Amino acid sequence: MTIPLVELKNVDVKFKSNHKVIHAIDHVNLTVNRQDIFGIIGYSGAGKSTLVRLINLLQKPDQGEVIVNEQNLLELNSKQLRKSRKKIGMIFQHFNLMNARTIFNNVAFALKGTKLSKEQKKQRVYELLNLVGLSDKAQAYPSQLSGGQKQRVGIARALANKPNLLISDEATSALDPKTTESILNLLKDLNKKLGLTIILITHQMEAIKQICRHVAVMEQGKIIETGSIYQIFTNPRQQLTKDFINTTTHLKESINVILRQEQISYLTQEDLTQEEKMFHLFYFGETTDLPLISTLYQKFEVSANILYGNIEMLQGKPIGNLIVILSGKPNMLEQALSFLKEAQVKVEEIDLNLIGGK
Amino acid sequence: MDLIAKYFPNVIVNWQGDYGFVGAIKQTLYMTFFSAIIAGILGLGIGILLLITDKNGLTPHPIIYSVLDKIVNILRSIPFIIMLALLASFTRLIVHTTIGPTAALIPLIASAMPFYARQVQNALVQVDPGVIEAAQSMGESNLSIIFNVYLVEGLPELVRASVMTIISLIGLTAMAGAVGAGGLGSLAVNIGFQRFENDVTIVATIFILILVFLIQFIGDVLVKHLTH
Repeated sequence: MTIPLVELKNVDVKFKSNHKVIHAIDHVNLTVNRQDIFGIIGYSGAGKSTLVRLINLLQKPDQGEVIVNEQNLLELNSKQLRKSRKKIGMIFQHFNLMNARTIFNNVAFALKGTKLSKEQKKQRVYELLNLVGLSDKAQAYPSQLSGGQKQRVGIARALANKPNLLISDEATSALDPKTTESILNLLKDLNKKLGLTIILITHQMEAIKQICRHVAVMEQGKIIETGSIYQIFTNPRQQLTKDFINTTTHLKESINVILRQEQISYLTQEDLTQEEKMFHLFYFGETTDLPLISTLYQKFEVSANILYGNIEMLQGKPIGNLIVILSGKPNMLEQALSFLKEAQVKVEEIDLNLIGGK
Repeated sequence: MDLIAKYFPNVIVNWQGDYGFVGAIKQTLYMTFFSAIIAGILGLGIGILLLITDKNGLTPHPIIYSVLDKIVNILRSIPFIIMLALLASFTRLIVHTTIGPTAALIPLIASAMPFYARQVQNALVQVDPGVIEAAQSMGESNLSIIFNVYLVEGLPELVRASVMTIISLIGLTAMAGAVGAGGLGSLAVNIGFQRFENDVTIVATIFILILVFLIQFIGDVLVKHLTH
């Protein structure tokens, strides 16, 4: 077993303000392995930002332990802590660049305390700007850059002291979808190229889906569910997790849109004959390669009317969602369903009365 | 020259000498310059202390903060004309006199310092807290954050605050002038007003206005140059 890069043990944070105590972090345990991309998702106010600030002790816990790079940060004096912070890069939602300094000097600022010569610093800054694709903007000021470019500067700055951990605090939340994607791809690249461990907090499931290998879901200061991205997507346990997943698959909305289509909207549960039923089929991994629908017809003479289909790729593995009306003889229908279940397909009947088609 | 002599006869008469315009301008500049430097340094220090000991500051310290906060508030509440009288014995102790421009420096500093301290605090508190947090996350010490982040990022605001303080100091020197400190204020009141030589008052006012506009202009150019 390798030693994890970050370990939060039973950390707890309470904020007191005007007689009110807010339990921001409620006895949380978190382990992040080296070279992982770990996502923490939750709505605003869930405590994500406070949680990641514990990792570089920008926020001190009321109790618990914070271990990063095999060091218990709470045992360090302020000088040692500052030294260990240099090995933890951080990027921010609003970039937090210094407006009075050029891009070059913003990045060079992070190298201020190092023993590098002036020439070496210059070389390192250009190396970093090249890495994020901004070497031509060295003499510009932050106000002359777009949001995506500013975040790239933030990344270059965060990487200046060659950290092995990068904390991303909603780094893509202020960016448009296209820029978000390019920043996420950059992070993914850095993870691969430099072996950089990334902890990413966000309220966008899209961002998690695009680059994370592990994910934790936060609500009211607690981590309510955690696991590999694949586990979370294929077998979510908590309602909040399901809601977040739904924000990227749009399954609920799709069902509603389907039911509003003219050919279907007349349907009620009674309209579906004894031999017809509507199902949500959910399948992942190897099953996606099987010719399921044609097998249903060949083996059981059950025909499938596909109303909606969606296949997502997660960490290179497919996850599929289908909404179908299956029709066939009742006993054959039953056999078909047990065949699907054997093939690791999750089958869920959709009751039109419950959804309220019409 | 004849025109000036015709319309501003008393200005010509009162031009030379320690109690004339030349001397008065020198005294006003002397009082403004030295009180600005000393009050500036002290005010900057107190302003920074207020900034960092505040509850959202770098090193919150409720006791230091509330003591400084109260001192600044009390000193700012004392009208300058009363400050002159109040500090008379203290001034005598230090400069052995209560008249003349050097004696006026003590109450000028006592008045401008808390004013500037508050201005500095308000200017620097506008520096984006996110930038401060970013510097902390990069392992910067508090001292480095004060000098390399607050004072650099907050410089345009700081220049604005300084211009405002210097301009109000010029106003105070004129008031000090009325009670024996010399300078353009003294000229305008003691000669222009009391001897009914209105032209002296008008020209003294013009010189003060020129001084104020000049400082404002330099400040604006600096701010423009510093803002990116």
